[in-house]
Amino acid sequence: MKKLLVSNFLFLISFAIAAHPGIGIVKDSRGNIYYTDLKQVWKISLDESKTPVVAGVHTHELYIDENDNLYGEHLWYNGESKDTWGHYVWYLKNTGQLVKEIKPTEGFLTNYSFVRDSLGNMYWVERFTTTRIMKKSKSGEVTKLIEGKFGFIGWLTCAKNGFLYFTENNKLHRLSPDGKLETLVENSRSKSTDFTMMGRNYDSYGIWTDAADNIYLAMIDSKNVIRIANDGKTDTVIHTNSMWTICSGIFDNDGNLWVLENSAANEVRARKITRTELAGGKTVNSSAIQPHLLVTIITAASFILLFIAAKIILNKRKQRLHHFAI
Amino acid sequence: MLYLLSFLLSWLSGMLVILIIAFYAYDQFSVIDITSFAVMTFAGFLILFLVIYLIVLKTINKKISRPKQFIYFPLIFSLVANLPAYFLIWKNIGNYYGIGEATLFFLGFFTSGLVFGLFWAWKNKVIHVVKKT
Repeated sequence: MKKLLVSNFLFLISFAIAAHPGIGIVKDSRGNIYYTDLKQVWKISLDESKTPVVAGVHTHELYIDENDNLYGEHLWYNGESKDTWGHYVWYLKNTGQLVKEIKPTEGFLTNYSFVRDSLGNMYWVERFTTTRIMKKSKSGEVTKLIEGKFGFIGWLTCAKNGFLYFTENNKLHRLSPDGKLETLVENSRSKSTDFTMMGRNYDSYGIWTDAADNIYLAMIDSKNVIRIANDGKTDTVIHTNSMWTICSGIFDNDGNLWVLENSAANEVRARKITRTELAGGKTVNSSAIQPHLLVTIITAASFILLFIAAKIILNKRKQRLHHFAI
Repeated sequence: MLYLLSFLLSWLSGMLVILIIAFYAYDQFSVIDITSFAVMTFAGFLILFLVIYLIVLKTINKKISRPKQFIYFPLIFSLVANLPAYFLIWKNIGNYYGIGEATLFFLGFFTSGLVFGLFWAWKNKVIHVVKKT
């Protein structure tokens, strides 16, 4: 019974964060940004106006090819009675026409990925007892890149130089095009409570790169973005407060960083962090309120008020007793 | 009224200690963390207050002389009366939270007990001084 109560409580408080945030944020050759809010795909034009371009799609990832064709999927659950999932893959042609590349199919997407290199090769992870990282060439040939007993492997990203980056729990690995696996960061985990972690043993989420092929990792518990240079040197470039969590990002053509953020209520937004803000290394708060500080101040103030109230009550009692004594 | 005030003051002091230590212990203390600690300490302390604290208070109020209350009350409430809470916190390490969170719970309950003891010793002193005069 006690376990049930605690589990229910943890479930309730984790409800808002239990969903699986998307990481899909891409840019086209002109510098327009596209991102998913898990309900639709938005376009942020160069003048920073926002318009929905693909409606009614639940896609976590996006990919845009060299011809500015935008790819994504739509994933849905068929209800508890069937307990099955369905998906299709769509792509929005640069002409604006929306086409289904993979027709509606039961189950999850297999042998397909939105992580692609400049040659159009796809990469994905098969997470079984033995984990495999797979590659599918443009001609359709599927090959196994590496195989082994890994911990939880998160999102993959492929840099322009053909290197594949992925996290395994709190490690960051780099897989070179010739199949050489290197560990760039041994432990990226920040100090977070177990309540925030909710059974996860990883903190890092979306991975992306900049023009110099530095790697950026969104740390969803510590609300940081860390930058990892090619030699493995790590520094924190963004720190935000608790209201919004950076899940992924992309650099625009002017070197500004567009971050994809998820709120505790599962809202999604894309926000620009300018080059200057980024270079300053300052805290880039997404809201003026810092919950931890605010709650501490309120608690301290309530404590003082209650203490004063107790003093007043005791004084009144004292006076009453004096009165009776006289 | 004083019972309610002593309960709220004690719980808030425990919560305040948790919140302050969290500034140094964690990189980020989110809304989820605050809610988890607040609800769990409130529920735990409420049970402790109703089941143990009130009975212990009634017993030791008569048995411990006024000058000694400022030492014994905080000690008894923070160490002895809190024992079931400490045991449960220790027992659930690894199931619901880690050692870091457990330490915060220990410190929170310890502070609550300490403040509760000090509050009643102070109350008794104030009333006693009046009665004496």
